[in-house]
Amino acid sequence: MTTSSAMPAVVAINTFREAVRDRVLYNLIFFAFLMIGAAILVGQISIGIERLVIINLGLSAISLFGLVMAIFIGVGLVSKEIEKRTLYSLLAKPIRRWEFIAGKYAGLLLTLVVNTAVMTVGVILALCYIGRPYMPYDKEVLIAVYFILLSLALVTAIALFFSCFSSPMLSTLFTLGIYITGVFAEDIRGFGKITKNPAIEGLTKVVYYLVPNFHNFNAIATASHGQLIPLSLIWQNTLYAILYVAVVLLAASAVFSRRNLK
Amino acid sequence: MSLRAKNRPLWTALVAIPFLFVAIATLQQRIDAETRPPDNQKEELLLPSGALLKKLSMGYDSLFADLYWTRTIQYYGERVGTRHANFDLLYPLLDVTTTLDPNMIAAYRFGAIFLSEPLPLGAGRTDLAVELVKRGIKENSDDWALYSDLGFLYYWRLKDYPNAAKAYLDGSKTSEGPGWMKLMAARVAEKGGSAETARMIWTELYQTTKDPNVRKWAATQLDGLAALEDESHLNVLSEQYRKLFGRYPASTKDLRDARLLAGIPVDPAGYPYAIGEDGKAHLAPESPVQEPKF
Repeated sequence: MTTSSAMPAVVAINTFREAVRDRVLYNLIFFAFLMIGAAILVGQISIGIERLVIINLGLSAISLFGLVMAIFIGVGLVSKEIEKRTLYSLLAKPIRRWEFIAGKYAGLLLTLVVNTAVMTVGVILALCYIGRPYMPYDKEVLIAVYFILLSLALVTAIALFFSCFSSPMLSTLFTLGIYITGVFAEDIRGFGKITKNPAIEGLTKVVYYLVPNFHNFNAIATASHGQLIPLSLIWQNTLYAILYVAVVLLAASAVFSRRNLK
Repeated sequence: MSLRAKNRPLWTALVAIPFLFVAIATLQQRIDAETRPPDNQKEELLLPSGALLKKLSMGYDSLFADLYWTRTIQYYGERVGTRHANFDLLYPLLDVTTTLDPNMIAAYRFGAIFLSEPLPLGAGRTDLAVELVKRGIKENSDDWALYSDLGFLYYWRLKDYPNAAKAYLDGSKTSEGPGWMKLMAARVAEKGGSAETARMIWTELYQTTKDPNVRKWAATQLDGLAALEDESHLNVLSEQYRKLFGRYPASTKDLRDARLLAGIPVDPAGYPYAIGEDGKAHLAPESPVQEPKF
């Protein structure tokens, strides 16, 4: 018999299984073709920048595929359960609503981790194919992948939050909106500075700190140029993602716990 | 489930989220300090080819042009007035913007002023400014304002009066070319290098531009020209004073005491003019007014 404390883990594993059953991981086949094609072509069309192209293309694809998965699966995590009426039988079991949210989140995150890990192996294999020996700064590529995962963890939490009270279509739009705002957070603050209007400057500054700053997690260019990513940035970004995910999941739990499911 | 248990996540969220956001903001400040030190910003333009971007934009080239134009203004605004300012990306940004939207007159006009303006207020690249404006004229041959800008560049930056006169004359022939351009062409050809002609050019620029940055800069130049004119008058009065008292006045106060002036004249920034030992009037050292050089 499953104890109450293990319930989020059960939900998480089932969410992962469901994603596999839904052939979500089929995107890996497309990714494999992309990397094989890139590895073969890059040697023909570029001189001396094969490594750069493979890393840029590979990491961008990992980020893009992950983003699409996080948003499109994330927004259906709760609403799909309600639509199929499976949520009612689930909540009849000894599971609290916040545990359900935590389990769903962990399940999708696990899916994304597996997906990203396989794609990372693909990038490494493509790098091997172009006949390049291991270089010490290759670890920066792995750090960049880790940063992509952190950003995906954040996107997943946001998608799940909207899924708790909105339709999948609207949730997708909201999540994409927040993501785009987060990517351009620095520019928003920049606009405020240019206006030289204290009120607008203050407002854009508040927006800058409120929205998730996805720019923090972009280390693709740094990794492809073999530049060092400081250790302090790794823990700061990790902590940032944890704190932000905590905020969003707390809000999601609060909203979902008060939602009338009748 | 009891009401209390049901409300627990809500209260936890209400209490915890503000604290978490404070922690997030603090952390973001640390990340900013780590990754984006203001004096060490790496400048990069990911897609420097406007032609390529136009193809990639899949019909949204005008939207992309707007984005690049916004980015250009932001780029300039972030750097102007800062120490060690450089505007290396100003031309590439304007080039991409105008390639994506060749009819974006504002971008050509902005480029004419701030590409040619010397550092630290501009890129100091009059050659690129002329190239950009000429391209603008090629794409928008009936826009008189671009001819006016080209005339300005030849007159003010390059001191090439025949080409400046030609640009003004060409502008006057456009369908909406104002009458003053023909006058300006004649005047530039006849009296190139005079302060009066310069004032006419800056005044027209001030009145015709819609860009607040350009207007502000034109106003600064007009202030400098007004100061030059004031100094010229004061120099005449200073000579009169010497004829009366056998020496130059020590300050404008002496001119007022000798009833040559009704009061103490001030420059456009409100600072009284100073008079040197040679009897020549000049701006007070603390005055922010910048006088143009001929």
